[in-house]
Amino acid sequence: MASGLKKSYGDFEALKGVDFEISGGECFGFLGPNGAGKTTTMKMIYGAVIPTGGELSVAGLDVYHHEREIKRRIGVVPQENNLDDELEVRENLLIYGRYYDLPKKLVLERTDELLDFVKLSEKVDNRVEQLSGGMKRRLLIARALINDPEIVVLDEPTTGLDPQARHLVWDRLRALAAEGKTLVLTTHYMEEAARLCDRLVIMEGGRIIAGGTPKDLVEEHVSPQVLEFRARHDAIEELLSRVESSAEAVERTGDEVLLVYTEDADALVAEVRASGVEVENTVHREAGLEDVFLRLTGRRLVE
Amino acid sequence: MLAPRIPSLRGAFRVWQRNVTIFRKFWISGLFPNFIEPLIYLAALGLGLGAFIQQGGISGQSYVQYIGPGLLASNAMFAASFESTFNTFVKLRFDKIYDAIITTPVNAEDVIAGEYLWAGTRAALYGTGFLAMLIALGTAFGEPLITSWWALLIPPMLLLIGIMFSVLGTLFTSLISHIDLFAYYFTLVITPLFLFSGIFFPVENFPAPVPQVAWFTPLYHAVNVCRELATGPSVGVIVDVLWIVVFTGALALIPVQIMRRRLIG
Repeated sequence: MASGLKKSYGDFEALKGVDFEISGGECFGFLGPNGAGKTTTMKMIYGAVIPTGGELSVAGLDVYHHEREIKRRIGVVPQENNLDDELEVRENLLIYGRYYDLPKKLVLERTDELLDFVKLSEKVDNRVEQLSGGMKRRLLIARALINDPEIVVLDEPTTGLDPQARHLVWDRLRALAAEGKTLVLTTHYMEEAARLCDRLVIMEGGRIIAGGTPKDLVEEHVSPQVLEFRARHDAIEELLSRVESSAEAVERTGDEVLLVYTEDADALVAEVRASGVEVENTVHREAGLEDVFLRLTGRRLVE
Repeated sequence: MLAPRIPSLRGAFRVWQRNVTIFRKFWISGLFPNFIEPLIYLAALGLGLGAFIQQGGISGQSYVQYIGPGLLASNAMFAASFESTFNTFVKLRFDKIYDAIITTPVNAEDVIAGEYLWAGTRAALYGTGFLAMLIALGTAFGEPLITSWWALLIPPMLLLIGIMFSVLGTLFTSLISHIDLFAYYFTLVITPLFLFSGIFFPVENFPAPVPQVAWFTPLYHAVNVCRELATGPSVGVIVDVLWIVVFTGALALIPVQIMRRRLIG
């Protein structure tokens, strides 16, 4: 549903031609470091950024000509809290329902259902400013559902939340996906992408650099086994030259950690032991999305 | 360049409705200063300074009678100006309320039009309260401040005056990036308008070009209209009303476009 999508601000190109297609009912993720163009892409979907080039259609409607109609059919959970803080939880949803011209009776019914869905029913009469960060995020999700949208767009839905709050949000988003809603989200948490997304794209510097299911991405871009070696700075250099030949790929994150990708971890560990290089700590694990990410975006994420 | 966006009434109404909902919860806290301020001017200048202007007053009116209706106009100006500067800026920059609204079928241009309507409504609401107080005070002290049934047209006129100053305030708000800059607007625009628009003394008595300059400023006409409606209007008041309508209409779409560009990348 997007092809050749571009956005420039003066000389700066925030998006340099992006293509993707999201099918109905799937959870689609945009993954990438800050400044990769994720939020810009999301804002284009809900009309807060107008592309400077390319095509983009949402729910089959062209964004250049059907702004209002698209907005009527999607729900948006923004990155920043923009609730009416001085109003009560219920009032926030009532006001929002009016923007969609929904009858008050319907909004009241949905308010009860949605607050139940995001587990905020007890807070219905509380002022928003009294809610915790996790509750506000859940209320933002409930608000985005007030018009019963086909597509829910979520910009970093769990950034800044503590682990409990994050799990609760994930749980609710999976429930939404199970209901058949199309979810489009951005994140820079690999775990979030791996847990929620059916398919995802990895963005960097305004471009999509890889895409597929989490499983495909791991299979395609990294070897199945990862060894994380931690060692002193000078030992790392030595280790690097030793393993470079036998490993499929080596990635350095920071000064003292080496990620080594291989088909046969045991052989490689044996080799390192035999070499006598002083290693402080070794972790052996399965490769995941995070490795794909580091592999593709290199150390730039860390910087 | 894209064609200018014309706001939809439906969207503007929804934004106006949001403000009404919030106002209904908090109107009492905002009411007091809005009421008290013109009363303070009325007492200090009308009674205090007015004591020295006994002989004949101005155009056959006592000084209190002269300034009362003018304060109705300035009250509307202040109400709409605060709404369209500080309040709008906070919603735009700090609370991100507009960002939330524009993800719904309500567009950025509707938001600004809704804010105009709301600022006008607030000016009319508080102004009507103040008008009622002027009538009551005039009756109580046996010196009527409002002497014509035409005064019934003052509330709708205050709505229009409020919208005019909302357009002006929003124009300034749309151009600035820091909230402290509003001090310039109030010191260099609103205060001079307040003092030199014929509320406290007729500007016509000033040497040229003061009266001519005053003619080109918005509050001058708003004061004329309120004073004439309070005492029984002459035909000339039509010119003042037209001036307000034309000025408002000519400027109204400019802040809409600038604000749209601030909200939509």
